[in-house]
Amino acid sequence: MKRLAIAAAALMLTACATAPQSKYDWGTYEQSLYQYYKTPAEMNALVASLDASIANAEKGSRVVPPGLYAEYGYLLLQQGKTQDAIAFFGKEKAKWPESATLMNRMIKIAEVKSNGSEAKQ
Amino acid sequence: MKSILQRVLALAAVAIVVTGCATPTPPPHNDYTAFRQADPRSVLVVPVVSRSVDVDAPDYFLSTISQPIAERGYYVFPVNLIKRVMEDDGLGDANLVHGSATPKLAELFGADAVLYVVIERWDSKYAVISTTTTVELSYSLRNGKTGDELWKHSETMAYDPAGGQNGLLAKAIVAAFEKAKPNYIPLAKSVNGVSVARVGRGLPAGPYDTKYKTDQQQY
Repeated sequence: MKRLAIAAAALMLTACATAPQSKYDWGTYEQSLYQYYKTPAEMNALVASLDASIANAEKGSRVVPPGLYAEYGYLLLQQGKTQDAIAFFGKEKAKWPESATLMNRMIKIAEVKSNGSEAKQ
Repeated sequence: MKSILQRVLALAAVAIVVTGCATPTPPPHNDYTAFRQADPRSVLVVPVVSRSVDVDAPDYFLSTISQPIAERGYYVFPVNLIKRVMEDDGLGDANLVHGSATPKLAELFGADAVLYVVIERWDSKYAVISTTTTVELSYSLRNGKTGDELWKHSETMAYDPAGGQNGLLAKAIVAAFEKAKPNYIPLAKSVNGVSVARVGRGLPAGPYDTKYKTDQQQY
């Protein structure tokens, strides 16, 4: 009887798993974004984990999912690394043409921020 | 006595299998005429409206929505970037955003479609030997050009980890753990996954899926 219950449970697990193989290498994107919203002070952890997720996917010739370059670029922008941010916004735009309008806007924001900090110096 | 309990449990497990996945008579799929016509390539997820008392629910939810939609073959705008930029633009209030015109918003970000999500339920009810965590979400995808609705869906899932335990003490312990730390995220992920990917009810394959424009039988 117990065996039947276990078999049924196993069946339940496999029967419902119809999700096809993943198109993208998400790395730790979901978990780290969740952790960041839980403790927003720990932005550096999110930065590090997005950096690692992107690097891992690229190293393994797996496709970096939509949005990841841009998310990472935005965090770099928040950290004042405007040139790096612009580079990643450019990568997002090159990989996903759908993002062009937004990325052009983000690049402009980053350039203004960059010029602003230069003017201050 | 014990064998009866086991038998009941086994039966319950079988019942879950049957009800969980079975599609007895495949119902005709949703009407995707408007969806096919709009043929969206990209999806913008705007701030989530929440009817839950859990103030963190909308943020937590955001971490679970990109993956299933992207895996259906769509470009999903970066949710955290969008959240921050919209806040900077004075569009951080979810209720306000849900109540305003779609095309203007879509144009701002160059989005083909805008997804409005409402968290209807996000709670955990504790009753000593069982804690049931429930997530209920409703979705409305609208055409970025016209604001017309392209897809609408609502889904509820409940999770009671004590249900799989034998013995009152084990149930009580598991229930207490769930009460202390409800498993919202796995549940939200399941709700999103099922809602978006269910054949005939979810989103048709998008441009980055191999079945793009060849799945009219299912959708």
